[in-house]
Amino acid sequence: MKKRLQFLLTPFLVLIVQLALAQNPDKTITGTVTDQEGLPLPGVNVIVEGTQRGTQTDFDGNYSIVANSSDMLVFSYLGFETASRRVGDAMRIDATLSPDAAELEEVVVMGYVSKRRDDMTGSAVSVGSESIEQVPVASVDQALQGKVAGLNITAASGTPGAVQDIRIRGRSSITAGNDPLYVIDGVPISGGNQAAATSGSSLNPLASLNNNDIESITVLKDASATAAYGARGANGVIVITTKKGKSGRTSINFSSSYGFTNPAIDGPTVLTGAQREELYYEAYQWQEFGELGLTTAEAREYEGSSEETQTSQGAAYRRWNAEGRPEANWGDAVRNYDAPIQEYNISANGGNEQYNFYASLGYFAQEAVTIGSEFERISGSVNFSHQLGENFRFQTSNTASHTYQDGILEGSAYFSSPQAAKFFQSPLEQPYNEDGSFNLNTSLPNPFWIAQEDIDDQRLTRIISNNSLTWSTPIPNLDFTTRASIDYRIYNYKRYRNPVSGDGDATAGYGYQAHRNTANYVFQNSLNYFLQSNDHRLDFTVLQEYQENRNYFLEAEAENFVTTGLTNLASAGTPTLASSEFTDWAVASYLGTASYSFNNIYVLNGTYRREGNSRFSPENRWGNFWSAGAALNFHRMGFLEGNNNVNMLKLRGSYGVTGNASIDLNAYQVLYSYDADYGGTGAAYPSTFGNENLTWETSDQYDLGIDFAFLENRINGTMSYYFRESKDLLLEVPLSRTTGFANQEQNVGTMTNQGFEAELEWNIVRSDDFNLTIGGNFATNENEVTSMPQNAAGNDITITEQRQRVEAGHPAYGWYLPTWAGVDPDTGFDTWYTDGVGSEITTSFGESNRVFQGGSALPTVNVGLNFHVDFKGFFVDANAFYQGGHKVYESWHLYTSGANLYPVGVYQGIDRLMTRWQQPGDVTRIERMQHGYEPWEYSSKYLFDGDFARLRNVTVGYNLNSSIAEAAGITSGRIFVRGTNLGTWVKDDNLIWDPEVNASGSTDMFTPATRSIIFGINVNL
Amino acid sequence: MKNILNKFVCTALIAGSVAVSSCTTDDLNPTLAQQKEDQNAFSNVDDMEGVLKGMYNRLTPAAYYGRDYLVTNEARTPNIWANGSSGRFVTQASFSQGATGLYFWDNAYAAIATANILIELDIETLEGDLDYARHMQGQAYAVRALAHFDLLKTFGQQHTGGSLGVPYVTEFKGEDLLPARGTVEDNKSAIYADLEQAYQIMDENFFDSSKEFISKYVAPSLESRVAVYFGDWERARDAADLVIESGKYSVVSADQFIESFANDGGVNSIFELAYRDTDNPGSDSMEYIYRGCSYGDISVTQDTYDNLYESDSDVRTNVFGTETCGDDEFLRNLGKFPSRSSNINVIRYEEVVLNYAEALYELGEGDPLQWLNMIPEHRNADTYSTVTKENILEERREEFIFEGLYYWDLLRTEQDIVRSEGQVINIPYGDPRTAWPIPLSELDANSNIVQNPGYQG
Repeated sequence: MKKRLQFLLTPFLVLIVQLALAQNPDKTITGTVTDQEGLPLPGVNVIVEGTQRGTQTDFDGNYSIVANSSDMLVFSYLGFETASRRVGDAMRIDATLSPDAAELEEVVVMGYVSKRRDDMTGSAVSVGSESIEQVPVASVDQALQGKVAGLNITAASGTPGAVQDIRIRGRSSITAGNDPLYVIDGVPISGGNQAAATSGSSLNPLASLNNNDIESITVLKDASATAAYGARGANGVIVITTKKGKSGRTSINFSSSYGFTNPAIDGPTVLTGAQREELYYEAYQWQEFGELGLTTAEAREYEGSSEETQTSQGAAYRRWNAEGRPEANWGDAVRNYDAPIQEYNISANGGNEQYNFYASLGYFAQEAVTIGSEFERISGSVNFSHQLGENFRFQTSNTASHTYQDGILEGSAYFSSPQAAKFFQSPLEQPYNEDGSFNLNTSLPNPFWIAQEDIDDQRLTRIISNNSLTWSTPIPNLDFTTRASIDYRIYNYKRYRNPVSGDGDATAGYGYQAHRNTANYVFQNSLNYFLQSNDHRLDFTVLQEYQENRNYFLEAEAENFVTTGLTNLASAGTPTLASSEFTDWAVASYLGTASYSFNNIYVLNGTYRREGNSRFSPENRWGNFWSAGAALNFHRMGFLEGNNNVNMLKLRGSYGVTGNASIDLNAYQVLYSYDADYGGTGAAYPSTFGNENLTWETSDQYDLGIDFAFLENRINGTMSYYFRESKDLLLEVPLSRTTGFANQEQNVGTMTNQGFEAELEWNIVRSDDFNLTIGGNFATNENEVTSMPQNAAGNDITITEQRQRVEAGHPAYGWYLPTWAGVDPDTGFDTWYTDGVGSEITTSFGESNRVFQGGSALPTVNVGLNFHVDFKGFFVDANAFYQGGHKVYESWHLYTSGANLYPVGVYQGIDRLMTRWQQPGDVTRIERMQHGYEPWEYSSKYLFDGDFARLRNVTVGYNLNSSIAEAAGITSGRIFVRGTNLGTWVKDDNLIWDPEVNASGSTDMFTPATRSIIFGINVNL
Repeated sequence: MKNILNKFVCTALIAGSVAVSSCTTDDLNPTLAQQKEDQNAFSNVDDMEGVLKGMYNRLTPAAYYGRDYLVTNEARTPNIWANGSSGRFVTQASFSQGATGLYFWDNAYAAIATANILIELDIETLEGDLDYARHMQGQAYAVRALAHFDLLKTFGQQHTGGSLGVPYVTEFKGEDLLPARGTVEDNKSAIYADLEQAYQIMDENFFDSSKEFISKYVAPSLESRVAVYFGDWERARDAADLVIESGKYSVVSADQFIESFANDGGVNSIFELAYRDTDNPGSDSMEYIYRGCSYGDISVTQDTYDNLYESDSDVRTNVFGTETCGDDEFLRNLGKFPSRSSNINVIRYEEVVLNYAEALYELGEGDPLQWLNMIPEHRNADTYSTVTKENILEERREEFIFEGLYYWDLLRTEQDIVRSEGQVINIPYGDPRTAWPIPLSELDANSNIVQNPGYQG
């Protein structure tokens, strides 16, 4: 905590550097500065009082300075009481600094403002750089998994650079966006998937940031924390702070890691060719004889014996037998075993009282665990701060990165996706011909050929430049800051399908390219003022902000490639699409926020924001958002002041109104679109129903909590309860299709989220050589749609999707399916309840009505656990997380697990089919094999408890002790081995896919989550 | 960039004086670069023509005439079966459809909504050729009738013992946004009324030789189809007679028959939907479902392949063939819908001729044999010596196989549907499964709609 404080505030310190002005002093004094526990304090300022002579302690707390015997040495260090020592006769002066009680507080960066912990009235959780650096993930949000109570992350895809679904305190909207707002260095940025094709891998804009350039991430959860972002704060805010320069000696940091990744779990096992054959001939016998009696070989012989008995599936099996029954294992074949992951970073920082800087260069590369996919990022940053004269300070943060993702088709059962090959390629067909060439005669495109020939590439070049000028006005403590920031992204997508085999063979090749320029401008002007008078302290900020986002998009498509190997559109004969678009949105806002503290005991916070958004009609464009919070710091009261057993005890509460405007552009307008064509000419059609009354979705949230630290801070933590009611939900209300429209955006319905959150850390052992800490977080979330509007016929509107429904009285998108009643042990066929458990049982799927199955896709409980131990420089860090209370639907079960010809005649089955019903009395989940094709039947049969736990991270390492470091000529160093997703526990045995699925709650054909082991070093020069 | 700088300047100025705000509500107006607001959408007849094309465009998606509407109907007959190659049309071929999908419900009503925009348009306010504007309104009436008729056939209860049809929508964003189902009889009257109105309004001078736009005689052509379906024989006779008398169309000759499917706008084409190299359903096209090894889900039944045509010289046998995928051989439609970019015919003259023949036969007047034989005569096939209902129906099946008409013939003549290959089925006439379920999403959004018997509600 101390170190962190220094980190954050050092840029504001005016440091004294040694001047060459010689005064002919007597002697050189040396010494060591330590804290009360004897730990050396690096970076302590040591100055000769009354002069400008000074130095800083080194890594081991040592200093040396030249002084007169009559001089006084002053030792100052942020967060500690300043100490003075008379030089006198001593040649060596050691100093022990004691913590400055008033300053010993974490400063929480909240985007626009930073607050002392004491002044906080809401819920915010900070994650420091130690949890972010050198974590083997492509995007920094993945590092938050399990670290923040109330923050739920699910990764749909393990493709490096793919988008993560993040929900803070549940889902606050039904059909508008639920993603949190991201803020980098005080500037809101736009997130979301960058990919131009929905059928390919997604690309997360956060993957363009280098994790190692990030100082901290703060997650703002309650209204008093998020109201500053008013309008867009309802889904929570994630504030990212980048590293800044530190005054003092220039230090250089080098870090590197290298490791290997594999799927986090093995996933479903598919049938062998022999098993598939056995099941096929069972289906055949049921069809042919109505009973089982023959062995597989006998049945095959019978089937092949005459033209009347032969089947096309049987022909494949007979051929396979003639070839000697070669087993193809496609799942194994498309795996990229021990896919390498590597990262290299070098950074430098330093400065003096005039300027400081931070600069870095980073490289990250990861191959996916499936063939044909990889990710690469090269990034650089320069952050620079310059004091201009007495009153002006210029600060600039600049990052540039280039991100490359070689993606795949994923997210559905795309036949030419390597991810689908395991489940859709017949094991009777071989990947290679006898001569070693690719077998292109497979029933689905050969994924090896596709990986070699086809292209799904995304490239994102991103430049973020954030510049501010702060003027310390002549009025004491009144600062004026003006800020201009741009986030500029150049995105390119390239898709190519070879003309020989696969998706492009019917058109003699296919090419598609898209190009997008996005510019996001933010301009801010703010006044900061603080007033300290005796026991009163007032912080006051007014801010004005304008944000504009502009998108230029260009795409083209062509067919008929002249030759193979040339993949650009220039080599295609038939252009089939050329299109361009421009879209924009803008937000203007005015913000005032004030914090008042009396004696550090009583704290009041207030925030007001007025925001206008281009997504709404001029009459409804502006919204008002506000919050109020109060806190009571018991530990600052007389009776507890200085009590070592109660270091912190705070009661806090907040209430506020935040908003959400994450809907499509121009939804309020009645629009005609012109992107259709007919007969080779352009065509127009009514595209948007429109709603001029459309306005903000708002959330009222209150938050009550206790923050505490006991026993010399050995035990600390926080507990909160929150309740959020979202009103005037921005809802895509389904219209009768007879209107010609699917839906209309309306402000209707209410929804609540409530939950309890706790975080706890316990320093069991705290000493020089040995530390042991355990910690954890726990959060619940209960989501309920409390009202839905009525339609013109007087009935409650519901939104029903294939497997989920939004209805008042249930969680949003609660699972809504016919209830499966098991396979009838007598007949071997599925049965269902007509109206849910307990009702009549039917053998006809059509007679089974949908009912709520309880729960939704969103976990109701999240738990994170942390463990840290270090001993003489050796350390072990571990953390694990659990998500539960939700349900997961298994997609594609008809084709992979249906007891019919899809898995054993056309595609490929999962080995659970071996437990199929064979004779009366068999109790199983799998029906009798049928020689035919069944239609889709979505029921609770494939809806499973989603509860799972994952050992997210284990790091074992060694911090070089100072003597070794010194001997090696470095300031400090660290080596470590880090494992990610080393273990997974899943509650429901039937959930055999990776339990980490995206927010929709259904498994799908994605690159699975990965387990990685990396070896890393980190050296400070 | 200049604009951005201006904004920066404006923000910078405000900071000092909080009261002044030059970044106003209007500065936040979004740019509309790809769309127009409705009040700006119609200024001249060309704008109207853009929306007219949009109306036709609504008929072309894969879910409607682009594939599903035609193939689903075909898959519900013994002509073809679904081989499961990509899992498509298996459900339809086994009559095990559920209510979760939309089928073409949304596409048809979207076309109707666009037609209503055109019909309600006050053309006097437009600049340009108002005669043409009026002609376009006539086309809109015809499309409104066609889409409602397709909906009625598919979702109506006329063959399942009920009386409910579909909502007949005649207003765009009208009073009743949650319409109930009309009766079959009401629907039928409305369809006839719209077709009559279309015929009235349309101007013969705007005859479109590409056949991609509806001309005057498309209306009676469609009317003859509707009338035959409902057994309104006099109306069928009169409507077909109008088309025949117009002299604008003729039966395609035997040597041109196969090519007529590859060539757009043939002599026999009355109305067809336009597809282009750059505008087609791609892998969801007819071509992909009837042929090829990536989808190729539709196989011809052996019985149809072997026995449908008596004469080997019948040019229509050239439509059939086999295709090998891997080591499997499939019986195929190779001739109809040859390419993704081929136009898809909605109605052709041969149907009008057979409608006329059937009407004459039912009414016991004229010379139905002459009209019936006009088709085999142009196909190098054996002609009939007598007219019977069976002969007419057989000729229709032979002529229109793979084009999605046979299913309606089976239903209107109250036949059972029996297939003994692939999806083995025996669907008795009147079975509730012969009517399609109203989509669940419509039921969820519109509580005035009643589900068909036998389906999830």
